[in-house]
Amino acid sequence: MNKVLLLAEILTVASALVVGFHPNILYASVFLLFTFCGVAVMFLYAGADFLAGAQIIIYVGGVTILILFAIMLTQWLYKIKLADLRNKMILPAILSVAVAVFLYRALHQMVATLPLQTPEALEKFTSTPKTALMGHALLGSYLLPFEAITILLLGAMVGAVWLARPE
Amino acid sequence: MNHLMQFSSSLQGYLAVGAMLFSLGIFCVLTRKNAIGILLGIELILNAAAINFVAFSKFRTGLIDGQIVALFIMLIAAAEAAVALAVILRFYRLKQTIDADEASIMRN
Amino acid sequence: MVQSAQFAHSLEGWFGLLPLWGWAAVSAFIVIYFLALPFGGLATYIERKIAADMQDRIGPNRVGPIGLFQFAADAVKMLAKEDFIPKGGDRFLFNLAPLFVVVGSCTAFAVLPLSKYLIGADLNIGVVFILAVTTLIAPGLLLGSWASENKWSLLGGLRAASQIVSYEIPVALSILPIVLISGSLQIGSIVEQQGWTVFGENQASYHFWNAFHNPFTFFSMFLLFIGGLAETNRIPFDLPEAESELVSGFNTEFSGMRFGLYALGEFCDVFVMSAMVTALYLGGWHIPFLDIEKLGFALPTALVAFVQFHMFMIKTLLVVFVVMWLRWTLPRLRVDQLMGMCWKGLLPLAFFNILGTALWMWVFKGQSLMQLLAGHG
Repeated sequence: MNKVLLLAEILTVASALVVGFHPNILYASVFLLFTFCGVAVMFLYAGADFLAGAQIIIYVGGVTILILFAIMLTQWLYKIKLADLRNKMILPAILSVAVAVFLYRALHQMVATLPLQTPEALEKFTSTPKTALMGHALLGSYLLPFEAITILLLGAMVGAVWLARPE
Repeated sequence: MNHLMQFSSSLQGYLAVGAMLFSLGIFCVLTRKNAIGILLGIELILNAAAINFVAFSKFRTGLIDGQIVALFIMLIAAAEAAVALAVILRFYRLKQTIDADEASIMRN
Repeated sequence: MVQSAQFAHSLEGWFGLLPLWGWAAVSAFIVIYFLALPFGGLATYIERKIAADMQDRIGPNRVGPIGLFQFAADAVKMLAKEDFIPKGGDRFLFNLAPLFVVVGSCTAFAVLPLSKYLIGADLNIGVVFILAVTTLIAPGLLLGSWASENKWSLLGGLRAASQIVSYEIPVALSILPIVLISGSLQIGSIVEQQGWTVFGENQASYHFWNAFHNPFTFFSMFLLFIGGLAETNRIPFDLPEAESELVSGFNTEFSGMRFGLYALGEFCDVFVMSAMVTALYLGGWHIPFLDIEKLGFALPTALVAFVQFHMFMIKTLLVVFVVMWLRWTLPRLRVDQLMGMCWKGLLPLAFFNILGTALWMWVFKGQSLMQLLAGHG
């Protein structure tokens, strides 16, 4: 029951539509940035305060910048050929609409049979700060995946540097 | 309007946004020729998954495990973006294009 | 103490009073006319005066008493300029890019602790919030430089983005020792713990300024300051707008109000960075060695807030002064020196500080230097 969340969801979906359909890849990536921001607000309303901050820092400050860099480094500066949508759009469109409908129907039916939290519990969950809880969980029951992720990140970084090395 | 607002803050609202982001991501991956465009689609898909995890962690369990998985998704997305862009830059240096259709041979 | 979710709920309450666009207009009005314009304008004036002093000149002295209204004249000139968009440039992105910079730096004002009782929203992720919203600046610079259709601009924008992204890491890491010490990301409580009084009993949680908590945090403060300088593109890290190489860098093609927005965003960012150093390391609104709420007699809250606000502003503006001072003192770095300094210098030092602080917390049971000297516990 709140306008900010509704606006954030509309922003998310609308800019995701632009990402999907805009022929200019630079515009698509700019609107991807708006999608990330909208998702961050949705996280905030789902009681994921730390996650919302991390979403902005990682996606806006990291991934979007990387993508913009790649676009600007790979397109010839003044012979911009950014338009790149394929002509065949009907089959993918049908497929993705079918996927969306199927996903939503399936989840909807599943949710209808699931016991959900009471409104009071939801309220309490939303207003609890999560940072300390997440820290304890990451160094407690999720320690092994956490360490695995650190090794994955290290490997990805070394691999990326090696791939992008000068000849 | 009131109905819409109620829907937006329910579990179904989150799931609907997640499903739409997921299908738009698939659409983006299928229709773009550009390797960076495909990467954009993958980012959308990963975000859709994260939304679902966060929504279920609030509405279903009331625990933070879903949020931890969403954090892992973000970290993997960051690592994946870095590696993918390194591959794209390498490919561009090789072929002077980032059209994914050109990546059709196994050796340079 | 407002948690972020409660903050969101309180937003709901206010939103009932006016339509959404009304609130947007009101808050934009307040931010622009009462925060950004006075500060940005006066900062340009002060910067020019300081520059003049350092170079043995007089500086602006024509408009108003001692040239005080120079910034108003500048603003009028800016508004009167031709609104220029380069031919072949990208109109949409050209208009959008300065907004990113302004939004990124002005939103951070919401969590700055001007006083114990004067803080827009004391979010429980306050520090993360500042780091998050200031990342919006980098895409703004990058997109603006691309939309200008100018090679100098593009080079400046690429430099700016790579610099900001790199220096974000030492900045975030040099905040971590403070988080270790205070066990909170909430700026209000981080500042609260930095109190100290020589008159009477200290609270158990008081441990004086974080900069003097232990030797590692003292160094950490300088790392945060240097990283902040680089993130705000100030000399000696102003490679993105190096006049001698790139004309004016990413804002070469911007004129009139759009250039004004860039300049404003940059000055606000400098202020936010200085305020962050003040709040996290220099005791925020605490008067050194004095707790004005524990004087033995009660002061009205408004007076306390007034005094604390001025204390905070004095400290912050001193840091801003150091930033301006450095501008006329240090030469510009080279690109490779800049990146080398970040990855080989600041980053290992920041890790060292975190480990050192953790060790200190373990050995001395979390007591600060002052607490040890005073023989507490």
